[in-house]
Amino acid sequence: MTPTPSRPAPRWAWLLFALLDPIPYGAFVAALIFDAIYYNTATIMYVKGAAWLLVFGLLAAIIPRLINLFLTWMPRYRASAATRLDFMFTALAIIAAIFNAFVHGRDAFAAMPTGLWLSILTVVLLVLGRLAGNACGPKGEDRHV
Amino acid sequence: MYKSTLLLVSGMAAALVLSGCEKADLDTAQQSGAQPPLPEAKNYLVPPIHVPTRVGWQNDETPQVAEGLKITKIADGFEHSRQVLPLPNGDILVVEGNSPGTASITSPKQLIANKVKARSGKGGTGGNRVTLLRPQNDGSYRKYPYIEHLNSPFGIQLVGDDLYIANTDGLLRYHYRPDETKMSSEAEAFTDLPSTINHHWTKSLLASQDGRKLYVGVGSNSNVGENGLEVEYRRAAVLEVDIASRSSRIFASGVRNPTALDWEPNTGKLWVVANERDEIGSDLVPDYLTSLQDGGFYGWPYSYYGQHVDTRVQPQRPDLVEKAITPDYALGSHVAALGVHFSRGDGLPEQYRHGVFVSEHGSWNRSPLSGYRVTFISFSEGKPTGPPQPVVTGFISDDESELHGAPVGLAQLQDGSLLVADDVGNTIWKVSAAN
Repeated sequence: MTPTPSRPAPRWAWLLFALLDPIPYGAFVAALIFDAIYYNTATIMYVKGAAWLLVFGLLAAIIPRLINLFLTWMPRYRASAATRLDFMFTALAIIAAIFNAFVHGRDAFAAMPTGLWLSILTVVLLVLGRLAGNACGPKGEDRHV
Repeated sequence: MYKSTLLLVSGMAAALVLSGCEKADLDTAQQSGAQPPLPEAKNYLVPPIHVPTRVGWQNDETPQVAEGLKITKIADGFEHSRQVLPLPNGDILVVEGNSPGTASITSPKQLIANKVKARSGKGGTGGNRVTLLRPQNDGSYRKYPYIEHLNSPFGIQLVGDDLYIANTDGLLRYHYRPDETKMSSEAEAFTDLPSTINHHWTKSLLASQDGRKLYVGVGSNSNVGENGLEVEYRRAAVLEVDIASRSSRIFASGVRNPTALDWEPNTGKLWVVANERDEIGSDLVPDYLTSLQDGGFYGWPYSYYGQHVDTRVQPQRPDLVEKAITPDYALGSHVAALGVHFSRGDGLPEQYRHGVFVSEHGSWNRSPLSGYRVTFISFSEGKPTGPPQPVVTGFISDDESELHGAPVGLAQLQDGSLLVADDVGNTIWKVSAAN
């Protein structure tokens, strides 16, 4: 059996990824800001805003995460170790955000402080993923943004 | 790394399954009475939801009644029949109404919960009218459309010649004429009532025995303050409206959802049934039956059952918690009491003459289900004694998957028989002595 020749990922996939991937990142950062405000002020609209941002962030993450899944783990796309590390951090961030969406389903201050901690964790994991994938990784074909 | 991801995912799935399948530990009988056991409050990732599917009553199916009683259908085909008011001439008014549906969806949870609850047939809009039932010579009742185009009506009272109807947004007054089968007088807007959001939309209504005051039960605008405390102005309260001046004041507060009111016949005290908060456990917090003290505060949202602090509310109010009155009698958690009626006269068997009937509309967030029945609680010297006795049951199928009906408003006819409004089966039932 002839091994599949290694080749770079298609440009359209990276382009779509580059367009969609910042949406969940922004939503989760905004959710963290809203959670921090709610934790300090107990003004209810902020925690409801954070709950929506988490849901929108998770929905918006579906397509870029699927693209990333294929581009990172299909052998023929030659993903670097850095890209794989980015994928892992981001996957953990999404898991934290799923938990957080349920925690934000609790009424009023019952979402706190767990919700705030999970928001912090989500953003920290996303930041680590981006640092690993962009700053530490080689400037190869698979570099995504 | 892969393994740790897998572990996390499976751990999360397990947590979801576990919280979703949580079973209640206490049954209603164990959690009724003056000193109900109250377990520790907990938080959920996914709160329990258990909603039977509405099937209604087929052919001649009826609820079951306790020994010594019989049950008959007096009318059906209503749109959410919620309250019954027997009139002095023998007619019966039936209030049909449902949620105004004006509460906007402001959180992802509401979006999902609304879809789940709709399955039980308790949701939806409709009704918005009063139907008159007039007795015929053969003992049946004939239906007449009496008042239409109301706005989510619930409470109804006749004071002399004045008929008061509590729409979700205000009290209406009509001039009542006993011979009419269709209300001829125009509605007079009597007073407005708190009407933002209307998360709890029902406005229960009771006139004082001297006909000078009206008492209005106004439910909270949230489970526990999650819509902001500014929308709770004059909510979770029983308002007293002075008929002569049309002015009103808060008679009692901190009562999360005061769904029905009645006078205890011996002491003349005002009693209420109230629905307590959700999502801190299947066995928390018991709904209750209590006498109301003028100016009394009953805890919501800051505390429950006296001084049990609810940490979900910020900022906390220790000054109010300190004043919170413990209710007289627990009915069990999530039973959703929607009707209360003190037994009067001697038309029912002896064991149902001194005490109160309570209708339990039934739970949606607890497994096994609780409520879905009418009970009787004996009174002695103006205080409830003993556990609630089931009087009307069989509203749910034995496997708890199908819902035939659910009891709401209660009233007694002149012969003593008990009327039960069923807003899921859309039927009015009459419970009377078997012989």
